[in-house]
Amino acid sequence: MYLDLKAILEIVILWFVIYEIMLFFEGTRAVNVLRGIVIILVMFFVIQRLGLERLDWLFTKLFAISIIALLVIFQPEIRQGLARLGQRHLFKLVLREEEIEQILKEIIKAVDNLSQKKTGALIAIEKDDSLKPYIETGVMLDALVSSELIENIFSPHSPLHDGGLVIQQARITASGCIFPVAEDPDLSRIYGLRHRAGIALSRETDAIVVIVSEERGEISLAYEGKLYEGLKKEELLMKMKEILIKK
Amino acid sequence: MSRENQIKRKIINWLINHPWLKLISFILAILVWFYVAGELKK
Repeated sequence: MYLDLKAILEIVILWFVIYEIMLFFEGTRAVNVLRGIVIILVMFFVIQRLGLERLDWLFTKLFAISIIALLVIFQPEIRQGLARLGQRHLFKLVLREEEIEQILKEIIKAVDNLSQKKTGALIAIEKDDSLKPYIETGVMLDALVSSELIENIFSPHSPLHDGGLVIQQARITASGCIFPVAEDPDLSRIYGLRHRAGIALSRETDAIVVIVSEERGEISLAYEGKLYEGLKKEELLMKMKEILIKK
Repeated sequence: MSRENQIKRKIINWLINHPWLKLISFILAILVWFYVAGELKK
């Protein structure tokens, strides 16, 4: 069949829509059903191409009935999914400005306390680029962002204090994560592994990385490969707001 | 960070995330397109 530009465009649009739907259901109970539907659709297509009329008839009838069954079985998931879809902006969840401010205040409170106690910390806040590859190297969590929890995670006796903490969409999603390490010799020798990891992560993704130095208790922020050192809590809040809340 | 590097990083990031999901959805998109094209021709 002759494929023109229009056809390619249609396939790309279809690809995007199907991918977003699959991504939407990933990690939910419905994903297994979605896999089943994909297999049935492929079989349906093959049967039609082979011209197996009786099987084609059977599949068509079964498919029509199963759609109703699926709507009834997955009614809660569909309702939840549609509610989430309403909150999404261009297939990405967005937080309200007040929510971001509240989260930032909790992070800054924890970072300030950790800095006073000279306890090292490494916190990455996800923006547009996914931090999933790094999350997989740590211990999965799913908790609301609170200063007490962050301080607890980084307290030296906590089993999760080594490595980085990841915050995604207003949730602490993982801790003890291994981030890449910047190895360039240009970086000053005073930077330990935490700073180097923060810089490297901010180079590879658009995440905001907050670092608390264990030696000096200094607060730094790494963003787009740049390190902003010796920040006071007010400066840190301002810098983070500047990055996250674009007017 | 240069614009070129940012674009490169975005592409790499896009490729790293859910490669299987992307492949499956691509195959499915082609199948659906050909199915609909076949139906419309009838």
